[in-house]
Amino acid sequence: MSEPVILTQGLGRQFAGKWAVQDLDLAVMPGEIYGFLGQNGAGKTTTLRLLTGLLQPSAGTLCIDGLDHRTGSRELKQRLGFVPDTPPLYDYLTGRQYVALVASLWNVPRRERDDRSDQLLDRLGLAEHADLLCKGYSHGTRKKIHLVAVLTTAPRVLLLDEPSSGLDPMSNKSLKELLLAESARGTTVFLSTHGLELAEQICHRVGILARGRLRAQGTVAELRHQHAERSLEDVFVAITQAATP
Amino acid sequence: MKLLAADLRVLRNLPTTNLGRRTLLSAAIGIGLLAMLTWWFAQAVVTNPQLLARLHRETGGDELRGLLGYGLMACPLVATWLGLALAQRQLFEGQELALWRQAPIASARPAMQVLVRATFLSCCWAAALALPFLSAMLQSRQAPAWAHGLALLTIVGATAPMLATLLAVHIVLVRFFAGRWLRLVFALIGALASVGFSTWLLMTMFARGHERVQDVVAIASLPRQLPWTIDTGAALLAAAARGTIDIQALAGLASWLVITVLVFRVVADLHPRAYERYLTAEPPLWRNHRRWSTSVASTLRKKEFAQVLQQPGALIGFLVFGVLVFALAKEQVMVGGILKVTRVPRDVTHLAVLLTQWFLAVLLVLYAHMGRLVLADSAQWALYACSPASAFAILRGKLTAIFAFMLWPLLLVALTGVWLLDANVTTLAVFVGVALGGTAVAMGVLAVVGTSPALMRPEDSGHTAQGGKNFLGALVLVIAFQLAIVPVSLAIWDQLANEQNHRLLSHGLALQWAPIVVGIALAYGGLMLLLGMWLGSRNLRRLLRAK
Ligand SMILES: Nc1ncnc2c1ncn2[C@@H]1O[C@H](COP(=O)(O)OP(=O)(O)OP(=O)(O)O)[C@@H](O)[C@H]1O
Ligand SMILES: [Mg+2]
Repeated sequence: MSEPVILTQGLGRQFAGKWAVQDLDLAVMPGEIYGFLGQNGAGKTTTLRLLTGLLQPSAGTLCIDGLDHRTGSRELKQRLGFVPDTPPLYDYLTGRQYVALVASLWNVPRRERDDRSDQLLDRLGLAEHADLLCKGYSHGTRKKIHLVAVLTTAPRVLLLDEPSSGLDPMSNKSLKELLLAESARGTTVFLSTHGLELAEQICHRVGILARGRLRAQGTVAELRHQHAERSLEDVFVAITQAATP
Repeated sequence: MKLLAADLRVLRNLPTTNLGRRTLLSAAIGIGLLAMLTWWFAQAVVTNPQLLARLHRETGGDELRGLLGYGLMACPLVATWLGLALAQRQLFEGQELALWRQAPIASARPAMQVLVRATFLSCCWAAALALPFLSAMLQSRQAPAWAHGLALLTIVGATAPMLATLLAVHIVLVRFFAGRWLRLVFALIGALASVGFSTWLLMTMFARGHERVQDVVAIASLPRQLPWTIDTGAALLAAAARGTIDIQALAGLASWLVITVLVFRVVADLHPRAYERYLTAEPPLWRNHRRWSTSVASTLRKKEFAQVLQQPGALIGFLVFGVLVFALAKEQVMVGGILKVTRVPRDVTHLAVLLTQWFLAVLLVLYAHMGRLVLADSAQWALYACSPASAFAILRGKLTAIFAFMLWPLLLVALTGVWLLDANVTTLAVFVGVALGGTAVAMGVLAVVGTSPALMRPEDSGHTAQGGKNFLGALVLVIAFQLAIVPVSLAIWDQLANEQNHRLLSHGLALQWAPIVVGIALAYGGLMLLLGMWLGSRNLRRLLRAK
C-alpha cells in the first residue's frame, strides 16, 4: 500500500478567533480523485488555500507528497497546481501569453509547454480564443484558460476550487475527461464542488464538510449505504442539517 | 427616483466602512484645500484697491459683474475636464449599467442617472473653486444672504449645460461610430483633459500673485465677452448684490438649464443602443503568435511590455507623459534660474538643466512604475505565491521591464535638450551617462520600497485599496530616492566648488571632469541597484510566504 499524497492531521485555521476549518484529518491516495462538498462558507476554499500553502495553518500538520508543508519549499510548490474559483488572468495578456507566463513560473521547457498547451486548448475548444486578450473572455473561458495553464505545468497534485462552475455542458464533459485522464496518469486530484453530479461521476471518494468540520467521508456508495438514503443529495442534506445547531 | 435613492443611500453608507471613510476624507481634504486657496485669493482681490479701481475704469463701473464672471470661469473648466475624462467610463463601463438595462425603467433613465451623478461631482468641484470667490465678492458688497444661495444656482447653471452637452456628444458618437478608433480617440482626449486640468489647477492655484491679478484683469475687464451662461450668471449675482433680482437673467439661466437637460433627455434614448454598440465593438485583436521563452525573468519582462503595448490606455499614458515633459521643458519649470547663470560654461548649465528636468520627470512616473512590482499584480498574487519561481528571478524580470520604461523620461529629456536647448553631443552624452546612473539608483530604491511588506502587501481579495497607504508609499519612495541621490550629488558639487575657488570653471575643466562624474554616477548607481535587489528579493520572499 502506497503512502497518501495529501495527509493532514488536526489541520485547522482561525480567522479573527473563529475557526473556519477545524480538526481536519485527510488522507488522499496517489491517483485518487477526492471531492470536497459543503455549503457556502463551510470552509472548502480555506482548506484548499491551506493545502496550497497560501494560508498558514493555525493548528495541525500537513504533509504533501511526503514533504512537510511548513518549509514552503519550492520543490513542493513545483508539484502542486491550484485552480482557484476566480481565475487570476491578466486582462491585457492573450490567453496564450498567460499560459506561457504560468508555464515559465513552473519551469516548463518550451517544447513540452507548446505541445501540452496546444493539445489542451484544442480539447477545451479554446483554440480560437487563445490569441485574444483575456479582457474579452467570458467567465467560463477564463476558467478554462487558467485550467489549461495549470495543467500545462503537469502538477502531481491538482487542487481545484469549484472547477465546474460556469462551464457549459460540453466543457464540463471535457473537464471530467481531463480529470479522469490526469488521475489515470497518477495525478492526485482534490476538488471542491457544489455539483453533486460531478462528485458522483468522477470522484473516487467524497468528504462532506459542514461548519468547518469534516462530517463524513467515503465512496458515494458507502455514504449512501451508511445513511440509508437514496441519493447523494439526500445524504448531503441529512449531514449538513445534522450539523446545524 | 429609485436610482437616485440608491445613490443617496450609497453616499450615506460610505462613512460606515473604513475604505469609504478614507475616500470621503481624502475628497474632503482636497476640496477643502482648494476652497481655502480660492478664499485667500478672493480676499487678496477685494483688499486690492488699485486692482478694483483699474477694473472700475475698464469696465465702466461694471467691475463686480466682471469679477463674478471670473469666479464662475472655473465651472465650465471643471465640467469639460470631468465630461471628457469620465464620460466614457460612466456612460459605458459602469458596473450598474448591466443591472439598469435589465430593470423595468425608462430606457433613457440610466443615461439620465449618469448625468445626475456627473453633475453632482462636477458641482462639488466647481463649488470648491468658485463659491468662496463669489461669496467673498458678494460679501464685500454687503449682499443679502439669499444672494449667496443664488450663487449656488449660477454654479450649477454654468456647469450642468456643458456637462450635458459633452455626455450627449459621447452618446451620439458611440451610437453611430463605435469602434476601436473611437475608443482610442476617447481615451486620448480623456487623458489629455485630465493632464490639462491638473496643469491648469497647478498653474492658477500656485501662480505668483501678480500673474494671477493679470489673469483677473484680462477676464474681468471684458465681462460681455465671457460665455453666455457665465455672463448671465454674473449679471444675476451682480443684481442680487444690489438686493434686486434680474428676472431676465434668472429666466434665461433657468430656461437654458431646462433646455439642455431636455435635449439630453432626447439623446439619452439613444443610450441603450450606444451601450450595445460599445460592448460589441471589442478592443483590437492581437494576434501575437510569437512564442515566449521559458525563463521566469524574461517572461515577466515580456509580460510587462505586453501589458503596456496591448493596453491602449497605457500606451496613451506614455504619450501624454511625453507631451507633459515637453510642456514642462518649454515653460522652463524649475530651471529658469539655472539658465540665467552666466558665470559657468554653457554646457554645464545645459547639463544642470537636463538633469533637473530628468529628476522632475522621474519623480512624476516613479510611483506609477513601482506598482508593477507587487500592487498591480495583487489579483494574481496567489499565482506567484503558489509558484516555485524564485523571488529573485521574479524581481529581476520586473525590474528589467521597469528599467526599460524608465528610459522613456531619459530619452524625452535628451530630446528636449536637442530641440529646445540646442545642447551639444558631449553634454548629451554626459547627461545620458549620469542619468543612467540615476535611473539605477531609482531602481534600487524602488526595489526596496515597492516590495516592502508593510506598504505593499496585496489584499486577500486581490483589490488594490486606494488611500492612505498608497500615499505613504509614494511619499516614502520619493523621499528615499532623493536621499539616495543626495550624497553623490553633494560630493561632486563639493569637489566642483572647491576647484572653482582656485580657478574659474572653464570649458576645459568641465570636459576633464566629465568622465569622472559619469563614472561615479554609474558606479554609485550600480551599487545602489545591487543593494536594492538584495533587500528587495528578501522583501519579496516575505510577501510570497503563507499568511
Ligand atoms: N480571509 C478571511 N478573513 C476572514 N474570514 C475568512 C477569510 N477567508 C474565509 N473566511 C471565513 O471562513 C469561512 C469559510 O470560508 P470559505 O471561503 O472557506 O468557504 P467555502 O466553503 O469555500 O464557501 P463557498 O462555497 O461559498 O465558496 C467563512 O465563514 C468565511 O467568512
Ligand atoms: Mg469557496
